[in-house]
Amino acid sequence: MFIKVLSATNLGLETIGVDVEINIANRGLPGFEIVGLPGKTVDESRERVRTAIINSQIEFPARRIIVNLAPADLPKQGSFYDLPIAIGILASVLEFKIPENSLFFGELSLDGTVRHTKGALLLSLFAREKGIKNIFVPKFSANEAAIIKGVNVYPIQSLSQLLGYCLGRVNIEPAQYQEREVGRIEAEFDMREILGQEQSKRAIEIAAAGGHNLFMVGSPGSGKTMLARALPGILPKLEEEESLEVTKIYSASGNIGPDGSLITVCPFRAPHHSISLVGLVGGGSRPLPGEISLAHRGVLFLDEFTEFPRSVIESLRQPMEDGRLTIARSMARITYPSRFILIASANPCPCGYLYHPKKACICNQREVNKYRKKISGPILDRIDLHVEVPIVDAKDFSEDEESAPLGRGESSSQIRERIIKTRDIQRNRFSQDEIFTNAEMKNTQIKKYCLLSGEVKRLLVQAVMNFHLSARSYFKMIKISRTIADLEGSEQITAAHLAEALQYRPKNRES
Amino acid sequence: MNKKYNLEKGNLGENIARRYLENKGYIIVDQNYRNKYGEIDLIAKEKNNDSLVFIEVKTRIGEQFGIPEDAINFKKKDKLIKNAQAYISWNKKAKNFNSYRIDAVCIVLDEGKQIKRIDHYENITG
Repeated sequence: MFIKVLSATNLGLETIGVDVEINIANRGLPGFEIVGLPGKTVDESRERVRTAIINSQIEFPARRIIVNLAPADLPKQGSFYDLPIAIGILASVLEFKIPENSLFFGELSLDGTVRHTKGALLLSLFAREKGIKNIFVPKFSANEAAIIKGVNVYPIQSLSQLLGYCLGRVNIEPAQYQEREVGRIEAEFDMREILGQEQSKRAIEIAAAGGHNLFMVGSPGSGKTMLARALPGILPKLEEEESLEVTKIYSASGNIGPDGSLITVCPFRAPHHSISLVGLVGGGSRPLPGEISLAHRGVLFLDEFTEFPRSVIESLRQPMEDGRLTIARSMARITYPSRFILIASANPCPCGYLYHPKKACICNQREVNKYRKKISGPILDRIDLHVEVPIVDAKDFSEDEESAPLGRGESSSQIRERIIKTRDIQRNRFSQDEIFTNAEMKNTQIKKYCLLSGEVKRLLVQAVMNFHLSARSYFKMIKISRTIADLEGSEQITAAHLAEALQYRPKNRES
Repeated sequence: MNKKYNLEKGNLGENIARRYLENKGYIIVDQNYRNKYGEIDLIAKEKNNDSLVFIEVKTRIGEQFGIPEDAINFKKKDKLIKNAQAYISWNKKAKNFNSYRIDAVCIVLDEGKQIKRIDHYENITG
């Protein structure tokens, strides 16, 4: 008997429908074969399906079973074909009708239970797009799939439960989406815990408000890492649209755990500098997203920036400009979004004490040059904000410790309020454009939204000439000024805003 | 278990299969044909048909260690094809046939060596 079950496979962030065709022949030597370019995991599905059916107290048919995964020329990978294959075999043997207009998806355990399977969100998106009404997914993936409204998501616990449902013996209620606080990254530090560093704090605030990249240079122990680690505490929650973009990436790469929900918190990724090129930008024969895509709509923090391999740093160029990256491999060509805020930190020289007011730097000029050359001009030019993080004076430090044990200045939540306001201004401004933040503005949008008065323009032109800024830097200065003005709630970009922005220009200090 | 036991079991199964096929209308041409590659359990021809049939007999006592059908895997089929080809090229009896076929007969016996089931699969390599 011939049975067709609908399923789908995820290729990057796209989903392609797959028909699982099952034929059980009455003639021929008993056997169980899967055709249609199955990968290793799909081929092994035979043993999982066979054992799961037997362990669900159903006799496995001793007949010739052929499973075809159509389209036959698309290589199949992943364990989620277990459920459609198993239910198709059962439907053929026990002669019941498979629910119409339904997608099946899930990995089977040997005991017949259904395991959490990655990519459930993409599947329900696909179902909505194609007008498929019902999807049957593992119980632990159901909440993730139920994010999408308008599709009935049936949470399946075990094969026998699904069988009972198909035979009309058991009722399964469609899952209702419940938001859960998962993957919430608490900031390790509150902003007020950081002593001094007013300029660096301000730069972090601007970076968070306008989505600008930030490069911090400073001696060891000055607080660069602490500043970056405090950043998650001042980032606003993701907007619904952003949230879905981020959750899609995490779902596709299997980064959503069992019973997961929509990711509403800005991702904060801090890979170690031993990371490989593929680890950072993504790759593999069926390309998976790298750290830059996992940091989409969030922060990519590269501590000890100069210690990263040069090729890895240079690979950031296009994704930083375009906000997405296409990974082309023999099997697939996949585009992942990568609109992140880059926060990088480094020492000024190998010993770390160049420009230190008290300590002597023991590096010679050649070593310093070599160290600086690790980060190329093109990368530095793409970073909007450059700050030098000075060391904290031990005297201030101990005094502060006594008088204000919780630290001075504003707390993270106060700063966050301001950033949320600034982001709102930006969203209103870009409601007609497909961007969210000032940093994403293209030149035409800069011309439209950042009108400069004659005085401001003169100042900018003068600065460009004196500081030898590039054309890209010219526009970056305007973008930063826009964010600073937005932080103040000012419609106009004034000379003061621009003057502050110019403080964050790339500096080439001679030693 | 020992070799003698397996041989006995095999012979028993082959004789059961032979009787079963004769009842079905096959004429047995050869039993236990051997060459240097291996052996073919039964070679038969159908009464009203011009084809020569090579038959592999698999016998199991009880099914708790798997069904006899499982033992006929890719490797076994490959061996059967090679043996059949050798038979066709070396044996005069194989002349004057239009087509050839490889079948399997799977027999399951119970503890008392009584037949529990017997299944005949036609053209297993097709």
